[in-house]
Formats: sequence, structure tokens, C-alpha cells
Amino acid sequence: MAKIALDGVYKLFGDVRAVDDVSLEIADGEFLVLVGPSGCGKTTSLRMIAGFERPTYGTISIGDRIVNRVSPKDRNLAMVFQSYALYPHMTVAKNLSFGMRVRRQPRAEITRRVQEVAETLGLEELLARKPAQLSGGQRQRVALGRALLREPEAFLMDEPLSNLDAALRVQMRVELSRLHDRFRATTVYVTHDQVEAMTMGDRIAVMSGGRMQQCDTPERLYERPANLFVAGFIGAPKMNLVSGGVGSADGSPVVRWLGQHVPLEGEMKRAISSLDVQEVIVGLRPEDLRWARDAPESCSARLSAVAEVVEPVGSETYVVARVGESALTARFPSRSGVSSGDQVDLAFDPTHLHVFHGDLGTSALVPDAPPASPAALEPTETPELGAPLGEHSPAL
Amino acid sequence: MSVRSPLSRRRSAPAALPRPDVLVVDYPRASVGGVATNLILAAVGVAFFAPLIWLLFTSFDAHAGPSLQWPKLTFSNFSALFNSTRLQPFINSLYLAGVSTVVTTVVALFAAYGLSRRHIPLKRTFMLIILFASGLPVNMLLVPVYQLFVRLNWIDSLFYTSLFLAAAALPFAIWLLKNFIDQIPDEFEEAASLEGAGSFQILLRVILPNALPGVAVTAMVTFIAGWGAFIVPLVLNSNPTSTPGSVAIYEFLRINGVVNYGQLASYSLLFAIPVVVLYLIASRWIAGAFTFSGGVKG
Repeated sequence: MAKIALDGVYKLFGDVRAVDDVSLEIADGEFLVLVGPSGCGKTTSLRMIAGFERPTYGTISIGDRIVNRVSPKDRNLAMVFQSYALYPHMTVAKNLSFGMRVRRQPRAEITRRVQEVAETLGLEELLARKPAQLSGGQRQRVALGRALLREPEAFLMDEPLSNLDAALRVQMRVELSRLHDRFRATTVYVTHDQVEAMTMGDRIAVMSGGRMQQCDTPERLYERPANLFVAGFIGAPKMNLVSGGVGSADGSPVVRWLGQHVPLEGEMKRAISSLDVQEVIVGLRPEDLRWARDAPESCSARLSAVAEVVEPVGSETYVVARVGESALTARFPSRSGVSSGDQVDLAFDPTHLHVFHGDLGTSALVPDAPPASPAALEPTETPELGAPLGEHSPAL
Repeated sequence: MSVRSPLSRRRSAPAALPRPDVLVVDYPRASVGGVATNLILAAVGVAFFAPLIWLLFTSFDAHAGPSLQWPKLTFSNFSALFNSTRLQPFINSLYLAGVSTVVTTVVALFAAYGLSRRHIPLKRTFMLIILFASGLPVNMLLVPVYQLFVRLNWIDSLFYTSLFLAAAALPFAIWLLKNFIDQIPDEFEEAASLEGAGSFQILLRVILPNALPGVAVTAMVTFIAGWGAFIVPLVLNSNPTSTPGSVAIYEFLRINGVVNYGQLASYSLLFAIPVVVLYLIASRWIAGAFTFSGGVKG
């Protein structure tokens, strides 16, 4: 296994910057997830690591070797494709052993490895079949087995679960995590699904518009999003983002937000005083905005609102409530009895607020955060309704 | 759309269930226009079939002539052909078509793979030139090629004649094969390259097996063209021992100024057999073979 490093990597297609100055280090044995919306450059980055594309500028190294000019066949990587890319004319056994056969490894060794991998993934019964005779999940497993067989330097996975149905996807997600725990193989995993990213990654690299937005552990990403893009992208339902201002009351800094003066404490207090603007965008996760009746004591700040949409998702209920001009999503207990049109009191803990620079969209709490892409700078006045049932990450 | 369906009438759904809207082909009633169309088509069909029927009848007819008539059954037209002077042209044709097929298919496979997969400057222009070249009549080139062959002393050689046929078939073969290879998903190749396969291994182990139907079609088209080639071997090869069948048929028309219709027909019939057989064998698996089912999703 080896570490992988991208250093100042750009990929230009004509005038389009598919990947724009990305630097990233993936430690030996780490499971790194590249996540972002379509066209954010995550797949292009992966393809550059694989060697299918050559970076326009910058260097990519695997282990201690710069591989910019090394062809894919000499990189000793394995990849699981979104389409599986199983050779249709070969049986499962032949598909699995293809890499070892082209490297002319001893036949006994090949047979042993095929057996081993087939046992690990439960493919023993399928070895004589052709890909056309397999179900989607089985094909997925064969594609995974093909990657496992060769013991490469690192695994690359390009949305490997996106063609599976929801139940199978959850099952394979668990299985992949288990395999990673067992083999501790360096893995770069591309997905657009934030739940996959949050549940599987040791670290998550969030990309947008070809640029790296933030690369950190799932917890840090969730608790300290570096800019508005990350804040909006990670978490379901999306974080409430409403513009506000910073000022002071009685000599100590406060955030003016939704008609409130929210006093600040600790880390946030220091961070706010370093901001060079008065205008800020304030974020609060729906799960941190509670029903006053149900809120813990730390929720000292209050807002009065009118419930507009009530969305039960089973274990809890998300209520879209209007506060003045803004609509906020709040988490209510599952049997709150609140219905739309009701007057509700909301409460939150001031330490849960996220404050972003009004012009740059960068978090006050994350030094050196990259500016959010222009689209993310628009404050979300009407937050999107909660994601449908099943899309919420249990890890959140 | 009408929902009157013989199918839904026969297998009527249980009353409780809503009857599915079955897509129905509403057969048109006979109309004057329809009858006229069918008559014209039938006439065209007869025009196509009459020569074939003549060929069949005449080959078994003891009193064969240029007109279509009921045959007086005999096998003498065929038995007369089974001697070495008559059979040698078959072997020559096989050689001519075989060599040109092998050369064309192998060269076209490499060319098509490169054109399909590699970044080549001016590729589009090159492909258009190939397409244009595949439409050029070979006869146009014959005079300069004849001069070239004379100068290189290649004239009267079946081998060099088949090389020229191969070259002539190449543009269309490349065009055809490239389109087949274009359909093979890039991921197969990318997966193979990551697993350590070089270009040649990828071509041989991944592309070729998946392009086999395309290769078969290309080979068949080239073989048929080589088998039926007439003007090229006639001009480039005047050696009587290496005359291919297509030219030999032509010679029936001028033996001592008398045309032997019976033998001409039976020879033509025999000459058509390899192509028909080839077509029957190939068509069975070409039809449904070109899918990458299971390899990629979709």
C-alpha cells in the first residue's frame, strides 16, 4: 500500500478548468472520499490518479514516485468502475484473474488468489458464469473482487454503488467499510452521495467547480464547514443560511440575526472580532434548531415562528417555519402535534451557530478557508425541504 | 388508437382487473392503392427472381438455352464440370478471396482500433477520406495499377492480385470495423490497462473478442467482394492456370464462339454456393451477438 499525493494539480479541457489547483495527500491505508455535485472535478481527479488523464499542471505521486508520465498499466492501482466494466466474454473466474494472467503470474498462485477472493466475497458459486448471467449486486462484487485480487498499491472507486438499488447499496456500503477495515488499503472513493461519504470516509474531500473546498474528517466537516458550499452540501436537511450582521452590545460582540442580538462566547467570540466585514451569513443546522418546549437548557436563544410545512420522517419531524422574511427548517420530536399555520417557539444554542464572511462565504471559525464558489454565496432564504425518508445519515 | 385486440379477446383479464390497453396493429383494409402497390412489388420481385429461376432450371436442363423453359432433367451439366481445368478456378478464387480477406481484416483491425481509440491529429478528416475512398470504383484505378504491376513485374500473380483486392477493400473495412469498435465501452480498455495490459494485449484479449461480430462482418464482406471480383483479376492476371472462378464463368460465353448455357448455369450455381453458405453461417450469430450484456450497466 502507498500514499497518494496531488500537488497543485490542474486539468484544463480547452478553457474549462475541470480541476483547478487541487492539492491533496492521502495517507497510506486511508479511505478518502471525493464528494461533490456533478461536474465538480471529482471523477477527473480520480482519472488523473488512475492515469487515464494527464494533469495539465501539477504533480501526482504514488508512494515516493511522481507518476505524471507513468502509464496506467505501470501504476499498480486497481479500480472499480461505476459501470463495473466486466469483460463480457470472460467468466467470473477469468474476469477476476485477468490482471494476474496478463502479468504472467504462476497458474497455481492465480488459482489460489481467485479462490481466496471468491471466498471473501461469496463468489464461489459464480466462478463459471459470465457477467450477463449475474445480478447487479453480483456484478458489483465481481468488480470489487477483481480489484482485490491483485493486492495493488491503492484502490480507486468511481461511484461503485450508484447502479445498485437502495437496499443493496446500504448493504454494500457496510461490506466495503468492513473490507477496508480488514485490508487497510489506501482507497480513493468518488461519490456524489453525502451519506456514503459521511459513513465510509476516514476523511472527505469536498469539491465544487473543480476546486477543493474542504478536506477533513466527517465530524469536522459537519461541525466546522469551511465555507458556505460545504455547509450547504453536507447535512440533510440542508443547513439554514440567513444573512445577518455582527456588532457589539455592552462592549461584547454579538450576532444580529432574525431580529435577535445573539451574544457570543468562546471560540466564536474571538473569531468574530477578526472578521473584516459587518455583513455575515449565519448558518444553523435544522437539528440544532429545536422546538422551545422540547429544547435542552443550553438553547438559550429564542425565535418565534409560524409553522409552514410539517414533514414527518418517522423518527422525527422537520418543520419549515417562517421567522419574519426567512424560512427555517427545525427539528421537532416525532409526535409534536404541530401542524402548519401553528405559532411555534424555536430555540437554539448560540454556540451552534456558524458564521460565514458576507462577501467570501468563508467560515469565521476555519482559518484559511477557501472562498465558496459564487453560487454558494447566495444565502438560502427558502431552505430546501427535508430530504425524503432514508436519505438521512444515521451517523449524523 | 384502437384497442380491439385478438390477443386481449382470447386471454381476457379477470373482470375485477382493469383491462390493459394492449397495443394493436390495425390491419389496413384492402384498397385500390394497396393492391396497386402490391402488384408493382410483385412485378419487381419477379424481375429479381426470374434470372435465378432461369439459373436453376437451365443448370439441370439437357436442352439449355437463353430462354426460361421447363427443364429436361439431367446432371450432365454438373458432371461435365468435375475435372481439374474446371475446378482449378474454384481453388484460385478461394486463394484470391482468402488472402485478401485475411490481409484486409488484420490490417483493418489495427487501423480501426487506432482510429477508434487514440487521439490522432486530423482524425476526422482522415476518416472522411477513408469514407470517400471506400466509395471510389476500383475500375478507375485499374489503368495506373496495371502499369505499376507491369513495372514491378507483379502481373499474372494471384498473390499480388489478391493484395490489390485487399488494398481496395481496406477503406470500407476500416470504416466498418471502426464503427464496431467505437461501440465497445472505453471502460473495458481502461480496466484492462490498470490491470497491467499493454495496447497489444488489450487489442487481442479485450477488444478483439468483443469486436468478433464486427470482424466477422468485415471478413465476410471482404470475402464476398474478393470471391466475386471480376475486372481486377481479368486485367491483372492473364495466366490461364490462375484464373479465378469469376473470370472462368465469363469464358463459358466465348468457347469457340458457342455459348454452353447448361454448363454456364451449373457453374454459376456452384460458384454461388460458398458465399451463400458463408452468409448463412455468419448471419445466425451476427444478428444477436453484438451486445455487451453484463459487462457494463445500461
